Amino acid sequence: MIVCLAVVGHENNPLYIQSFTESDDALKLHHIVHCSLDVIDERVNNPKKSSPAINEAFLGLLYPTENYKVYGYLTNTKVKFILVTTDLDIRDADVRNFFRKFHAAYVDAVSNPFHIPGKKITSRTFGERVSSIVKPFGLNSAS
Amino acid sequence: MVREVSESCVESLLAEIVLSYCSGFYANKPELAARRIEAIGFQVGHQLSERYTMDRPRFTDNLDAIKFICKDFWSELFKKQIDNLKTNHRGTFVLQDNRFRWLAHMSVDPSVQASGNIQDPSAMAENKSAQATGMHLYFPCGIIRGALSNLGIECAVSADISNLPAFVNRTCTPPTLSFCYSCMTEAVLFTQLLSEKWLFQSAVSSF
Repeated sequence: MIVCLAVVGHENNPLYIQSFTESDDALKLHHIVHCSLDVIDERVNNPKKSSPAINEAFLGLLYPTENYKVYGYLTNTKVKFILVTTDLDIRDADVRNFFRKFHAAYVDAVSNPFHIPGKKITSRTFGERVSSIVKPFGLNSAS
Repeated sequence: MVREVSESCVESLLAEIVLSYCSGFYANKPELAARRIEAIGFQVGHQLSERYTMDRPRFTDNLDAIKFICKDFWSELFKKQIDNLKTNHRGTFVLQDNRFRWLAHMSVDPSVQASGNIQDPSAMAENKSAQATGMHLYFPCGIIRGALSNLGIECAVSADISNLPAFVNRTCTPPTLSFCYSCMTEAVLFTQLLSEKWLFQSAVSSF
């Protein structure tokens, strides 16, 4: 189950943070997202020789904490998507699929002429679209 | 889902932007009008680059990004690629488009230019046409600048009309800015667009 989704701009400014749990540890999730930014920077600036594609957008599992897994995705325009999930047996392909749909939703939200680049995404349509992508996510991989 | 837009609508819109900014909002301040038009282009380029880089792997360096502009970006916008790319390997790039789509249907009114001076009429005609079409180039310059800035390359694009049918798009970085990828202290980026000869020769030859 996805607990938190974040979009971070190229200057590490938050563009969209949404948590999907009812409990009050939104702050903890924000903190996890913040820490994962460092991991992304590390991955991008010091590519491991063993990594298959240093130019790929999907960064894979960034780091596992005790309850959560954090996945990262870096677009060409240096915008980072961060996904925090509680599912411990999730498949890479599912996450890639998710990020692809999320990227499409993000591009549509940013193409809004009333959206100011660098500011938070305030579009309600974007929020609805994201929830519709997030909902079937846990169900597919649990089966 | 691919949506189609009528090309004549796009061209009328662009012509109207230039007309309303130059003769309407900033009637006596062509500099301001140019800057506003360029800023509109900047935002458009910013958003377009977001969309067109979606399925591509990340770029490794500036040359990659410029090649993306020449090939994919240009074909999405103008249905063709840039015809020629030159570089001086010091941050200057010259992009040559032999038939710039947005100016392809533009002609210059020859009667406006016969204002009876001793000057060489063809040079004067070129000057007037250059002035007239110059304003139409700020928008594509802004698009290029916006797209490149979204990819992390700060530059300034300016258009130059050297002589009809040629016009030059020049992108320059301000001297104090340094690229993060290289150790250059000053980098100049040129983009040059040439429009096709035969379109303007008919106007010029009427003298």
